[in-house]
Amino acid sequence: MPARNTSQRYGSVAQSFHWLIVGLLIVQVTLAKIAAGLPLGLDKLALLARHKSFGITILALAAIRLGWRLFDRPPPLPPMPRWQLVAARVNHAALYVLLFVMPLTGWMMSSASNYPVSWFGLVQLPDFVGPDRELKDLLKLVHKTLSYGLFVLAGLHVAAALKHQLLDRDGLLFRMLPWRPR
Amino acid sequence: MILRALCVALACCPAAIAEVWQADQGSGTLNFSAIQAGADFTGGFGRFQVKLDFDPSKPASGRLDVTVATSSIDTQDAERDEILRSRDFFWTDEHPQAVFRAEHFQRDGAGWRAEGELAIRGVTKPAAVRFTLAPATGAAVMKGTSSLRRLDFGLGQGDFASTEWVGDEVDVQFELKLRPTIR
Repeated sequence: MPARNTSQRYGSVAQSFHWLIVGLLIVQVTLAKIAAGLPLGLDKLALLARHKSFGITILALAAIRLGWRLFDRPPPLPPMPRWQLVAARVNHAALYVLLFVMPLTGWMMSSASNYPVSWFGLVQLPDFVGPDRELKDLLKLVHKTLSYGLFVLAGLHVAAALKHQLLDRDGLLFRMLPWRPR
Repeated sequence: MILRALCVALACCPAAIAEVWQADQGSGTLNFSAIQAGADFTGGFGRFQVKLDFDPSKPASGRLDVTVATSSIDTQDAERDEILRSRDFFWTDEHPQAVFRAEHFQRDGAGWRAEGELAIRGVTKPAAVRFTLAPATGAAVMKGTSSLRRLDFGLGQGDFASTEWVGDEVDVQFELKLRPTIR
């Protein structure tokens, strides 16, 4: 599989970004869900520290991925009704926005709640806002609400891919998979 | 006549009078910074008393007393403050005060170093505070730092005795506007 995208499918670089971020997002949701059910203590501190580290990792990956995407344009979408093209583009764009906004609101929320972020204990990130209870409550609400938004958009994205694969049978799913259809 | 002369002397040279300087939460801040999950965070104490009986020309007879209400700890997070007040950390029900007392002062660069004892959670250990004194109108500004290892004082019981997620080293910073009270 070539590193760069072809007119038929995504290259290995774009695919790696895609699936790595999918994996990290699943880890993120899992860590957040477990942590939310725990009282504050070392376990919660450890889970949330990892959640923050992975979140910053996603932020960095999203930035590199977007840069790569500008350099290596995605393959054109298969023929489909115009509204579907528009919906796909809008959904992709919104997913990219969330890949940035989710970590950024989480980071600011950490600063506002006086739990500054360290990336895996190696680098302490700066605080763009100081401790502020009201801001923290607001950011927490935004972060949580957007996570549901991400869930919905990712769900639509998966549903659309499966619809193409299973109903339209146009092999669209293979554009983002390392193997080809038999 | 003698009384009158004494009054004049006192008025002219207030520095000659032995003075005790005082400050509390209304006239300054007493903060600390510690490490959680690899990142520094800061907190402070909302109630404390500082008494400094110190004449730079006679450091040998100086004395510094600091009393901190442990339950006034504030890290801007109610859940964390609750843990810090619990038996696992300050155990504020049993040990409502943390006390620092120093009677040895020595020059330290442009400032001073006060050596004494720090008592927290029933444990007393030698500790030192470095500070500077600067005159201000009707007051003196005392600024300084200290550092301690939380585990020396049992601040962190059970799982919290691990330093994997909560660092051992704690830095203390204070800035106070001391007012004179004539002894």
